[in-house]
Amino acid sequence: MSLLSPPLADRDHLRGSADARVTLVEYGDFECPACGEAYPVLREVRKAFGENLRFAFRHFPLVISHPHALVAAEAAEAAAAQGKFWPMHDRLFEHQDALDDRALTRHARKIGLDLDQFESALASRVYEARVREDLASGQASGLLGTPGLFINRVLYTGVRDRASLVAALAQAAVKAKVL
Amino acid sequence: MGKKMSTVEAVTTGPRVIGRQTLVRLTLYYVGAGLILLVLTALFPGGGVSVPQTPAPTELTDAIPWLRSRMAVLPSGAPLWVDALVQMLSGLLLVLPIAFVYVRTRTRQRYDQSLIQTVVMLPIVVTAILVVVRDSLALAFSLAGIVAAVRFRNTLKESGDAVYIFGSIGLGFATGIHAIGVAMTLSVLFVVLELTLWRLDLGAEFEQTFTRLCLPSRGDWAALARPSYGTKGTDRTDRERPGPPRGDGAVALRIYVEHSDAAQPAVEAVLKRDAKRWSLTKVAAEDGGLSVLEYRARPRKRVGLGGLRDRLLQEGTPHVIAVDEADRSA
Repeated sequence: MSLLSPPLADRDHLRGSADARVTLVEYGDFECPACGEAYPVLREVRKAFGENLRFAFRHFPLVISHPHALVAAEAAEAAAAQGKFWPMHDRLFEHQDALDDRALTRHARKIGLDLDQFESALASRVYEARVREDLASGQASGLLGTPGLFINRVLYTGVRDRASLVAALAQAAVKAKVL
Repeated sequence: MGKKMSTVEAVTTGPRVIGRQTLVRLTLYYVGAGLILLVLTALFPGGGVSVPQTPAPTELTDAIPWLRSRMAVLPSGAPLWVDALVQMLSGLLLVLPIAFVYVRTRTRQRYDQSLIQTVVMLPIVVTAILVVVRDSLALAFSLAGIVAAVRFRNTLKESGDAVYIFGSIGLGFATGIHAIGVAMTLSVLFVVLELTLWRLDLGAEFEQTFTRLCLPSRGDWAALARPSYGTKGTDRTDRERPGPPRGDGAVALRIYVEHSDAAQPAVEAVLKRDAKRWSLTKVAAEDGGLSVLEYRARPRKRVGLGGLRDRLLQEGTPHVIAVDEADRSA
Protein backbone atom coordinates (compact mmCIF):
# COMPACT_ATOMS: atom_id res chain seq x y z
CA MET A 1 0.00 0.00 0.00
CA SER A 2 1.56 3.29 -1.13
CA LEU A 3 1.18 6.19 1.27
CA LEU A 4 1.38 9.87 0.54
CA SER A 5 4.71 11.15 1.69
CA PRO A 6 5.10 13.75 3.07
CA PRO A 7 1.53 14.38 4.28
CA LEU A 8 -0.25 17.60 3.38
CA ALA A 9 1.20 20.73 4.89
CA ASP A 10 0.85 24.50 4.63
CA ARG A 11 2.99 24.57 1.50
CA ASP A 12 0.40 22.55 -0.42
CA HIS A 13 -2.31 24.02 -2.61
CA LEU A 14 -5.60 23.16 -0.98
CA ARG A 15 -9.23 23.56 -1.90
CA GLY A 16 -11.92 22.95 0.67
CA SER A 17 -12.19 22.98 4.40
CA ALA A 18 -9.49 21.68 6.74
CA ASP A 19 -12.31 19.96 8.64
CA ALA A 20 -13.39 18.01 5.58
CA ARG A 21 -14.16 14.37 6.16
CA VAL A 22 -11.99 13.11 3.34
CA THR A 23 -8.93 14.37 1.51
CA LEU A 24 -8.07 13.80 -2.11
CA VAL A 25 -4.60 14.61 -3.38
CA GLU A 26 -3.85 14.72 -7.08
CA TYR A 27 -0.39 14.51 -8.53
CA GLY A 28 -0.82 16.00 -11.96
CA ASP A 29 0.91 17.23 -15.05
CA PHE A 30 -0.63 20.16 -16.91
CA GLU A 31 0.36 18.75 -20.29
CA CYS A 32 -0.72 15.18 -19.64
CA PRO A 33 -3.87 14.29 -21.66
CA ALA A 34 -5.02 11.85 -19.01
CA CYS A 35 -4.81 14.59 -16.37
CA GLY A 36 -6.76 16.82 -18.71
CA GLU A 37 -9.45 14.20 -18.97
CA ALA A 38 -9.43 13.64 -15.22
CA TYR A 39 -9.86 17.38 -14.59
CA PRO A 40 -13.62 17.59 -15.30
CA VAL A 41 -14.16 14.32 -13.47
CA LEU A 42 -12.43 15.66 -10.36
CA ARG A 43 -14.38 18.91 -10.63
CA GLU A 44 -17.63 16.93 -10.55
CA VAL A 45 -16.35 14.86 -7.65
CA ARG A 46 -15.58 18.04 -5.71
CA LYS A 47 -19.10 19.29 -6.39
CA ALA A 48 -20.56 15.99 -5.17
CA PHE A 49 -18.82 16.33 -1.81
CA GLY A 50 -18.96 20.07 -1.22
CA GLU A 51 -17.32 20.95 2.06
CA ASN A 52 -16.89 17.29 2.93
CA LEU A 53 -13.91 17.04 0.60
CA ARG A 54 -10.53 18.72 0.77
CA PHE A 55 -8.67 18.64 -2.50
CA ALA A 56 -4.96 19.20 -2.94
CA PHE A 57 -2.82 19.40 -6.05
CA ARG A 58 0.84 18.53 -6.32
CA HIS A 59 2.99 18.74 -9.42
CA PHE A 60 4.23 15.65 -11.19
CA PRO A 61 5.48 16.94 -14.54
CA LEU A 62 6.56 14.15 -16.86
CA VAL A 63 9.31 16.27 -18.34
CA ILE A 64 10.55 13.74 -20.88
CA SER A 65 7.25 13.18 -22.65
CA HIS A 66 5.73 16.60 -21.98
CA PRO A 67 8.14 19.41 -22.83
CA HIS A 68 5.90 22.20 -21.47
CA ALA A 69 4.87 20.45 -18.28
CA LEU A 70 7.63 21.83 -16.06
CA VAL A 71 7.27 25.44 -17.12
CA ALA A 72 3.47 25.15 -16.82
CA ALA A 73 3.89 23.89 -13.27
CA GLU A 74 6.22 26.80 -12.55
CA ALA A 75 3.63 29.16 -14.02
CA ALA A 76 1.05 27.75 -11.62
CA GLU A 77 3.46 28.37 -8.76
CA ALA A 78 4.11 31.89 -9.98
CA ALA A 79 0.36 32.43 -9.96
CA ALA A 80 0.21 30.94 -6.47
CA ALA A 81 2.68 33.60 -5.34
CA GLN A 82 0.04 36.13 -6.35
CA GLY A 83 -2.74 34.14 -4.67
CA LYS A 84 -4.15 32.72 -7.90
CA PHE A 85 -3.01 29.14 -8.02
CA TRP A 86 -6.47 27.63 -8.59
CA PRO A 87 -7.55 30.00 -11.39
CA MET A 88 -4.26 29.23 -13.14
CA HIS A 89 -4.62 25.49 -12.43
CA ASP A 90 -8.09 25.49 -13.99
CA ARG A 91 -7.02 27.57 -16.95
CA LEU A 92 -4.00 25.39 -17.71
CA PHE A 93 -6.09 22.24 -17.70
CA GLU A 94 -8.71 23.90 -19.86
CA HIS A 95 -6.06 25.00 -22.39
CA GLN A 96 -3.69 22.06 -22.44
CA ASP A 97 -2.82 22.69 -26.07
CA ALA A 98 -1.49 26.18 -25.28
CA LEU A 99 1.33 25.90 -22.79
CA ASP A 100 4.26 27.63 -24.48
CA ASP A 101 5.75 30.79 -22.99
CA ARG A 102 3.55 33.16 -24.95
CA ALA A 103 0.40 31.21 -24.05
CA LEU A 104 1.37 31.15 -20.38
CA THR A 105 1.70 34.94 -20.40
CA ARG A 106 -1.71 35.12 -22.04
CA HIS A 107 -3.19 32.92 -19.32
CA ALA A 108 -1.54 35.06 -16.65
CA ARG A 109 -3.05 38.20 -18.19
CA LYS A 110 -6.45 36.56 -18.42
CA ILE A 111 -6.58 35.68 -14.73
CA GLY A 112 -5.30 39.11 -13.75
CA LEU A 113 -1.75 38.46 -12.62
CA ASP A 114 0.95 41.09 -12.40
CA LEU A 115 2.73 40.24 -15.66
CA ASP A 116 6.13 41.69 -14.76
CA GLN A 117 6.28 39.67 -11.60
CA PHE A 118 5.00 36.57 -13.37
CA GLU A 119 7.44 36.75 -16.28
CA SER A 120 10.42 37.49 -14.09
CA ALA A 121 9.54 34.51 -11.88
CA LEU A 122 9.42 32.26 -14.93
CA ALA A 123 12.60 33.67 -16.43
CA SER A 124 14.59 33.19 -13.24
CA ARG A 125 13.11 29.71 -12.63
CA VAL A 126 12.32 30.65 -9.04
CA TYR A 127 9.79 27.88 -8.61
CA GLU A 128 11.56 25.01 -10.32
CA ALA A 129 12.87 23.68 -7.02
CA ARG A 130 9.37 23.82 -5.53
CA VAL A 131 7.96 21.82 -8.44
CA ARG A 132 10.77 19.29 -8.26
CA GLU A 133 10.07 18.84 -4.54
CA ASP A 134 6.54 17.81 -5.45
CA LEU A 135 7.88 15.50 -8.13
CA ALA A 136 10.25 13.86 -5.64
CA SER A 137 7.46 13.48 -3.10
CA GLY A 138 5.32 11.76 -5.74
CA GLN A 139 8.11 9.34 -6.53
CA ALA A 140 8.68 8.73 -2.81
CA SER A 141 4.95 8.00 -2.49
CA GLY A 142 5.22 5.22 -5.05
CA LEU A 143 3.73 7.08 -7.96
CA LEU A 144 4.59 5.89 -11.47
CA GLY A 145 2.41 8.05 -13.66
CA THR A 146 -0.22 10.71 -13.83
CA PRO A 147 -2.77 11.45 -12.67
CA GLY A 148 -1.89 9.96 -9.27
CA LEU A 149 -4.61 10.13 -6.68
CA PHE A 150 -4.36 9.65 -2.95
CA ILE A 151 -7.45 9.30 -0.80
CA ASN A 152 -6.71 10.06 2.83
CA ARG A 153 -3.00 9.46 2.11
CA VAL A 154 -3.56 6.07 0.45
CA LEU A 155 -2.84 5.65 -3.25
CA TYR A 156 -6.07 5.06 -5.15
CA THR A 157 -5.67 2.37 -7.77
CA GLY A 158 -9.29 1.91 -8.83
CA VAL A 159 -11.12 3.13 -11.90
CA ARG A 160 -11.04 6.90 -12.23
CA ASP A 161 -14.53 7.58 -13.43
CA ARG A 162 -16.73 9.85 -11.35
CA ALA A 163 -18.99 7.19 -9.87
CA SER A 164 -16.10 4.98 -8.74
CA LEU A 165 -14.20 7.91 -7.26
CA VAL A 166 -17.23 9.23 -5.38
CA ALA A 167 -17.92 5.76 -3.98
CA ALA A 168 -14.29 5.29 -2.91
CA LEU A 169 -14.13 8.73 -1.29
CA ALA A 170 -17.44 8.19 0.55
CA GLN A 171 -16.17 4.85 1.82
CA ALA A 172 -12.95 6.50 2.96
CA ALA A 173 -14.91 9.27 4.70
CA VAL A 174 -16.85 6.73 6.73
CA LYS A 175 -13.78 4.65 7.53
CA ALA A 176 -11.85 7.71 8.65
CA LYS A 177 -14.59 8.48 11.15
CA VAL A 178 -14.61 4.93 12.47
CA LEU A 179 -10.82 5.00 12.93
CA MET B 1 5.92 3.95 -17.47
CA GLY B 2 4.31 7.25 -16.68
CA LYS B 3 3.49 7.73 -20.31
CA LYS B 4 1.93 4.29 -20.47
CA MET B 5 -0.33 4.99 -17.52
CA SER B 6 -1.39 8.25 -19.07
CA THR B 7 -2.41 6.51 -22.25
CA VAL B 8 -4.45 3.97 -20.34
CA GLU B 9 -6.22 6.67 -18.40
CA ALA B 10 -7.02 8.60 -21.51
CA VAL B 11 -9.30 5.85 -22.67
CA THR B 12 -10.91 5.11 -19.36
CA THR B 13 -12.26 8.43 -18.33
CA GLY B 14 -13.16 11.83 -19.51
CA PRO B 15 -14.96 13.53 -22.30
CA ARG B 16 -15.31 12.26 -25.84
CA VAL B 17 -12.54 14.17 -27.50
CA ILE B 18 -10.54 13.18 -30.55
CA GLY B 19 -7.22 14.99 -30.41
CA ARG B 20 -5.82 16.72 -33.46
CA GLN B 21 -2.71 14.60 -33.08
CA THR B 22 -4.80 11.45 -33.33
CA LEU B 23 -6.38 12.61 -36.56
CA VAL B 24 -3.01 13.59 -38.02
CA ARG B 25 -1.51 10.23 -37.07
CA LEU B 26 -4.44 8.34 -38.57
CA THR B 27 -4.23 10.33 -41.79
CA LEU B 28 -0.48 9.81 -42.05
CA TYR B 29 -0.96 6.13 -41.35
CA TYR B 30 -3.47 5.77 -44.17
CA VAL B 31 -1.28 7.70 -46.59
CA GLY B 32 1.68 5.50 -45.65
CA ALA B 33 -0.39 2.32 -45.84
CA GLY B 34 -1.77 3.37 -49.23
CA LEU B 35 1.74 3.90 -50.58
CA ILE B 36 2.96 0.58 -49.20
CA LEU B 37 0.00 -1.22 -50.74
CA LEU B 38 0.55 0.46 -54.09
CA VAL B 39 4.19 -0.59 -54.09
CA LEU B 40 3.42 -4.12 -52.89
CA THR B 41 0.74 -4.71 -55.52
CA ALA B 42 3.03 -3.27 -58.19
CA LEU B 43 5.97 -5.41 -57.14
CA PHE B 44 3.95 -8.58 -56.81
CA PRO B 45 0.99 -8.46 -59.19
CA GLY B 46 -1.39 -11.14 -58.00
CA GLY B 47 -4.56 -12.89 -58.96
CA GLY B 48 -2.80 -15.03 -61.56
CA VAL B 49 -2.61 -12.04 -63.86
CA SER B 50 0.61 -11.41 -65.68
CA VAL B 51 1.58 -7.81 -66.30
CA PRO B 52 2.10 -7.07 -69.99
CA GLN B 53 5.23 -5.20 -70.88
CA THR B 54 3.74 -1.98 -72.17
CA PRO B 55 5.72 0.49 -74.24
CA ALA B 56 6.86 3.77 -72.75
CA PRO B 57 3.79 5.95 -72.19
CA THR B 58 2.95 8.78 -74.47
CA GLU B 59 0.01 9.89 -72.39
CA LEU B 60 -0.33 10.37 -68.67
CA THR B 61 -3.06 7.74 -68.36
CA ASP B 62 -0.66 5.06 -69.63
CA ALA B 63 1.96 6.00 -67.08
CA ILE B 64 0.67 3.87 -64.21
CA PRO B 65 0.36 0.57 -66.16
CA TRP B 66 3.79 1.23 -67.64
CA LEU B 67 5.25 1.95 -64.21
CA ARG B 68 3.70 -1.21 -62.80
CA SER B 69 5.08 -3.29 -65.64
CA ARG B 70 8.53 -1.84 -65.03
CA MET B 71 8.33 -2.35 -61.27
CA ALA B 72 6.95 -5.89 -61.23
CA VAL B 73 9.42 -8.31 -59.70
CA LEU B 74 7.33 -11.17 -61.00
CA PRO B 75 5.71 -9.86 -64.18
CA SER B 76 4.21 -13.22 -65.06
CA GLY B 77 2.25 -13.27 -61.82
CA ALA B 78 3.32 -14.02 -58.25
CA PRO B 79 3.14 -17.58 -56.93
CA LEU B 80 0.07 -18.33 -54.86
CA TRP B 81 1.81 -18.10 -51.51
CA VAL B 82 3.39 -14.72 -52.31
CA ASP B 83 0.06 -13.48 -53.59
CA ALA B 84 -1.64 -14.69 -50.40
CA LEU B 85 1.04 -13.09 -48.25
CA VAL B 86 0.61 -9.73 -49.96
CA GLN B 87 -3.14 -9.88 -49.51
CA MET B 88 -2.85 -10.88 -45.87
CA LEU B 89 -0.39 -8.06 -45.19
CA SER B 90 -2.80 -5.67 -46.88
CA GLY B 91 -5.59 -6.88 -44.61
CA LEU B 92 -3.36 -6.50 -41.56
CA LEU B 93 -2.30 -2.97 -42.52
CA LEU B 94 -5.88 -1.85 -43.01
CA VAL B 95 -7.36 -3.47 -39.92
CA LEU B 96 -4.92 -1.88 -37.46
CA PRO B 97 -6.66 1.54 -37.49
CA ILE B 98 -9.96 -0.25 -36.81
CA ALA B 99 -8.40 -1.96 -33.80
CA PHE B 100 -7.05 1.39 -32.66
CA VAL B 101 -10.50 2.95 -32.91
CA TYR B 102 -11.91 0.13 -30.80
CA VAL B 103 -9.41 0.85 -28.03
CA ARG B 104 -9.95 4.61 -28.26
CA THR B 105 -13.72 4.44 -28.07
CA ARG B 106 -14.04 1.95 -25.25
CA THR B 107 -13.77 2.50 -21.53
CA ARG B 108 -11.80 0.07 -19.43
CA GLN B 109 -14.97 -1.70 -18.33
CA ARG B 110 -16.25 -2.10 -21.87
CA TYR B 111 -12.88 -3.04 -23.30
CA ASP B 112 -12.34 -6.62 -24.43
CA GLN B 113 -8.77 -7.58 -25.20
CA SER B 114 -9.69 -10.81 -26.96
CA LEU B 115 -11.88 -8.85 -29.35
CA ILE B 116 -8.90 -6.71 -30.38
CA GLN B 117 -6.88 -9.80 -31.17
CA THR B 118 -9.82 -11.30 -33.03
CA VAL B 119 -10.33 -8.17 -35.09
CA VAL B 120 -6.64 -8.06 -36.03
CA MET B 121 -6.44 -11.76 -36.92
CA LEU B 122 -9.74 -12.12 -38.78
CA PRO B 123 -8.76 -10.44 -42.08
CA ILE B 124 -5.70 -12.69 -42.34
CA VAL B 125 -7.74 -15.83 -41.75
CA VAL B 126 -10.57 -14.78 -44.04
CA THR B 127 -8.08 -13.83 -46.76
CA ALA B 128 -6.40 -17.23 -46.46
CA ILE B 129 -9.77 -18.98 -46.73
CA LEU B 130 -10.69 -17.01 -49.84
CA VAL B 131 -7.31 -17.69 -51.42
CA VAL B 132 -7.84 -21.40 -50.85
CA VAL B 133 -11.49 -21.50 -51.89
CA ARG B 134 -11.14 -19.16 -54.89
CA ASP B 135 -13.67 -20.24 -57.51
CA SER B 136 -14.07 -23.81 -56.32
CA LEU B 137 -17.69 -24.59 -55.51
CA ALA B 138 -16.66 -27.90 -53.95
CA LEU B 139 -14.25 -26.19 -51.58
CA ALA B 140 -16.87 -23.60 -50.70
CA PHE B 141 -19.32 -26.35 -49.74
CA SER B 142 -16.60 -28.06 -47.72
CA LEU B 143 -15.93 -24.82 -45.89
CA ALA B 144 -19.62 -24.40 -45.14
CA GLY B 145 -19.66 -27.94 -43.76
CA ILE B 146 -16.67 -27.28 -41.55
CA VAL B 147 -18.13 -24.02 -40.26
CA ALA B 148 -21.43 -25.75 -39.51
CA ALA B 149 -19.61 -28.47 -37.58
CA VAL B 150 -17.80 -26.05 -35.31
CA ARG B 151 -19.84 -24.22 -32.74
CA PHE B 152 -19.00 -20.60 -32.26
CA ARG B 153 -20.54 -19.34 -29.12
CA ASN B 154 -19.26 -16.16 -27.67
CA THR B 155 -21.13 -13.46 -25.86
CA LEU B 156 -19.89 -10.07 -26.94
CA LYS B 157 -19.68 -7.39 -24.27
CA GLU B 158 -21.96 -5.19 -26.32
CA SER B 159 -23.71 -5.32 -29.63
CA GLY B 160 -21.46 -2.64 -31.09
CA ASP B 161 -18.56 -5.11 -30.87
CA ALA B 162 -20.22 -7.22 -33.56
CA VAL B 163 -19.72 -4.36 -36.01
CA TYR B 164 -15.97 -4.66 -35.51
CA ILE B 165 -16.12 -8.38 -36.19
CA PHE B 166 -18.15 -7.85 -39.36
CA GLY B 167 -15.92 -4.98 -40.42
CA SER B 168 -12.89 -7.18 -39.98
CA ILE B 169 -14.48 -10.02 -41.95
CA GLY B 170 -15.49 -7.60 -44.70
CA LEU B 171 -11.92 -6.35 -44.88
CA GLY B 172 -10.66 -9.91 -45.17
CA PHE B 173 -13.12 -10.61 -47.97
CA ALA B 174 -12.01 -7.52 -49.87
CA THR B 175 -8.30 -8.25 -49.58
CA GLY B 176 -8.98 -11.93 -50.32
CA ILE B 177 -10.33 -11.06 -53.77
CA HIS B 178 -7.66 -8.43 -54.53
CA ALA B 179 -10.11 -5.59 -53.99
CA ILE B 180 -7.55 -3.54 -52.07
CA GLY B 181 -9.32 -0.32 -53.02
CA VAL B 182 -12.56 -1.60 -51.50
CA ALA B 183 -10.68 -2.69 -48.38
CA MET B 184 -9.08 0.74 -48.07
CA THR B 185 -12.44 2.47 -48.50
CA LEU B 186 -14.04 0.21 -45.92
CA SER B 187 -11.26 0.79 -43.42
CA VAL B 188 -11.24 4.58 -43.79
CA LEU B 189 -15.03 4.88 -43.74
CA PHE B 190 -15.30 2.55 -40.76
CA VAL B 191 -12.76 4.55 -38.77
CA VAL B 192 -14.26 7.93 -39.66
CA LEU B 193 -17.83 6.85 -38.94
CA GLU B 194 -17.02 5.04 -35.73
CA LEU B 195 -15.02 7.98 -34.36
CA THR B 196 -17.74 10.40 -35.39
CA LEU B 197 -20.53 8.38 -33.80
CA TRP B 198 -18.48 8.01 -30.64
CA ARG B 199 -17.61 11.70 -30.57
CA LEU B 200 -21.22 12.76 -31.00
CA ASP B 201 -22.43 10.08 -28.59
CA LEU B 202 -25.27 9.58 -31.02
CA GLY B 203 -28.50 8.42 -29.48
CA ALA B 204 -27.33 8.69 -25.85
CA GLU B 205 -29.90 11.34 -24.99
CA PHE B 206 -32.91 9.38 -26.02
CA GLU B 207 -35.47 11.55 -24.31
CA GLN B 208 -33.92 14.76 -25.54
CA THR B 209 -33.68 13.49 -29.11
CA PHE B 210 -37.21 12.13 -28.93
CA THR B 211 -38.58 15.36 -27.56
CA ARG B 212 -36.82 17.44 -30.19
CA LEU B 213 -37.38 15.29 -33.21
CA CYS B 214 -40.54 13.34 -32.63
CA LEU B 215 -44.02 14.63 -32.17
CA PRO B 216 -45.81 12.71 -29.46
CA SER B 217 -48.61 10.48 -30.61
CA ARG B 218 -52.04 10.44 -29.03
CA GLY B 219 -50.94 7.49 -26.91
CA ASP B 220 -47.94 9.45 -25.68
CA TRP B 221 -50.13 12.35 -24.62
CA ALA B 222 -52.42 9.97 -22.77
CA ALA B 223 -49.45 8.41 -20.99
CA LEU B 224 -48.12 11.83 -20.06
CA ALA B 225 -51.48 12.81 -18.57
CA ARG B 226 -51.54 9.77 -16.29
CA PRO B 227 -49.78 10.23 -12.93
CA SER B 228 -47.21 7.48 -12.85
CA TYR B 229 -45.32 8.28 -9.68
CA GLY B 230 -45.75 10.00 -6.36
CA THR B 231 -45.55 13.74 -6.00
CA LYS B 232 -43.85 15.01 -2.91
CA GLY B 233 -44.71 11.72 -1.25
CA THR B 234 -43.14 10.70 1.99
CA ASP B 235 -45.23 7.65 2.75
CA ARG B 236 -43.47 4.31 2.73
CA THR B 237 -45.27 3.10 -0.36
CA ASP B 238 -43.26 5.59 -2.38
CA ARG B 239 -40.31 3.28 -1.95
CA GLU B 240 -41.98 0.74 -4.14
CA ARG B 241 -43.12 3.08 -6.86
CA PRO B 242 -41.10 3.53 -9.96
CA GLY B 243 -39.39 6.88 -10.26
CA PRO B 244 -40.49 9.65 -12.58
CA PRO B 245 -40.04 8.75 -16.20
CA ARG B 246 -36.88 10.03 -17.77
CA GLY B 247 -36.97 13.09 -19.96
CA ASP B 248 -39.15 15.17 -17.64
CA GLY B 249 -36.27 17.08 -16.10
CA ALA B 250 -35.81 14.54 -13.35
CA VAL B 251 -32.33 13.40 -12.42
CA ALA B 252 -31.15 10.29 -10.66
CA LEU B 253 -29.38 11.24 -7.45
CA ARG B 254 -27.11 8.92 -5.55
CA ILE B 255 -26.78 10.19 -2.01
CA TYR B 256 -24.03 8.66 0.13
CA VAL B 257 -25.02 8.78 3.77
CA GLU B 258 -24.01 7.50 7.14
CA HIS B 259 -26.83 6.22 9.37
CA SER B 260 -29.50 6.09 6.70
CA ASP B 261 -32.36 6.15 9.23
CA ALA B 262 -31.27 9.55 10.45
CA ALA B 263 -30.19 10.81 7.05
CA GLN B 264 -33.32 9.94 5.12
CA PRO B 265 -35.71 12.36 6.89
CA ALA B 266 -33.19 15.18 6.49
CA VAL B 267 -32.75 14.42 2.80
CA GLU B 268 -36.45 14.14 2.18
CA ALA B 269 -37.16 17.40 3.99
CA VAL B 270 -34.91 19.14 1.46
CA LEU B 271 -36.46 17.30 -1.46
CA LYS B 272 -39.93 18.13 -0.24
CA ARG B 273 -39.06 21.81 -0.29
CA ASP B 274 -36.71 22.09 -3.27
CA ALA B 275 -37.86 19.40 -5.68
CA LYS B 276 -40.98 19.56 -7.72
CA ARG B 277 -41.27 15.79 -7.79
CA TRP B 278 -39.19 13.11 -6.24
CA SER B 279 -39.25 9.47 -5.29
CA LEU B 280 -36.95 7.07 -3.54
CA THR B 281 -35.90 4.33 -5.92
CA LYS B 282 -33.37 2.32 -3.95
CA VAL B 283 -31.62 2.04 -0.62
CA ALA B 284 -28.37 0.12 -0.66
CA ALA B 285 -26.23 -0.64 2.37
CA GLU B 286 -22.49 -0.58 1.73
CA ASP B 287 -19.58 -1.59 3.94
CA GLY B 288 -18.68 0.22 7.13
CA GLY B 289 -22.05 1.84 7.83
CA LEU B 290 -22.21 3.65 4.50
CA SER B 291 -25.56 3.63 2.69
CA VAL B 292 -26.56 4.90 -0.71
CA LEU B 293 -30.01 6.42 -1.11
CA GLU B 294 -31.05 6.66 -4.72
CA TYR B 295 -33.72 9.16 -5.66
CA ARG B 296 -35.20 10.41 -8.87
CA ALA B 297 -35.97 14.05 -8.40
CA ARG B 298 -36.89 17.05 -10.45
CA PRO B 299 -35.33 20.14 -8.85
CA ARG B 300 -37.36 23.31 -8.75
CA LYS B 301 -36.26 25.75 -11.43
CA ARG B 302 -35.27 28.44 -8.98
CA VAL B 303 -33.03 25.97 -7.15
CA GLY B 304 -31.51 23.97 -9.99
CA LEU B 305 -29.53 20.78 -9.66
CA GLY B 306 -26.47 22.52 -8.21
CA GLY B 307 -28.57 24.31 -5.61
CA LEU B 308 -30.38 21.13 -4.66
CA ARG B 309 -27.09 19.30 -4.25
CA ASP B 310 -25.62 22.07 -2.09
CA ARG B 311 -28.68 22.16 0.14
CA LEU B 312 -28.69 18.40 0.55
CA LEU B 313 -25.05 18.56 1.60
CA GLN B 314 -25.55 21.50 3.95
CA GLU B 315 -28.78 20.46 5.57
CA GLY B 316 -27.94 16.78 5.59
CA THR B 317 -24.83 17.37 7.71
CA PRO B 318 -23.41 15.31 9.36
CA HIS B 319 -25.09 12.32 7.78
CA VAL B 320 -24.90 13.19 4.09
CA ILE B 321 -21.39 12.66 2.76
CA ALA B 322 -21.85 13.14 -0.98
CA VAL B 323 -24.56 13.81 -3.54
CA ASP B 324 -23.75 12.49 -6.96
CA GLU B 325 -25.78 12.53 -10.10
CA ALA B 326 -26.05 8.92 -11.19
CA ASP B 327 -24.65 8.14 -14.62
CA ARG B 328 -27.11 8.45 -17.45
CA SER B 329 -26.40 4.90 -18.45
CA ALA B 330 -27.18 3.61 -14.97
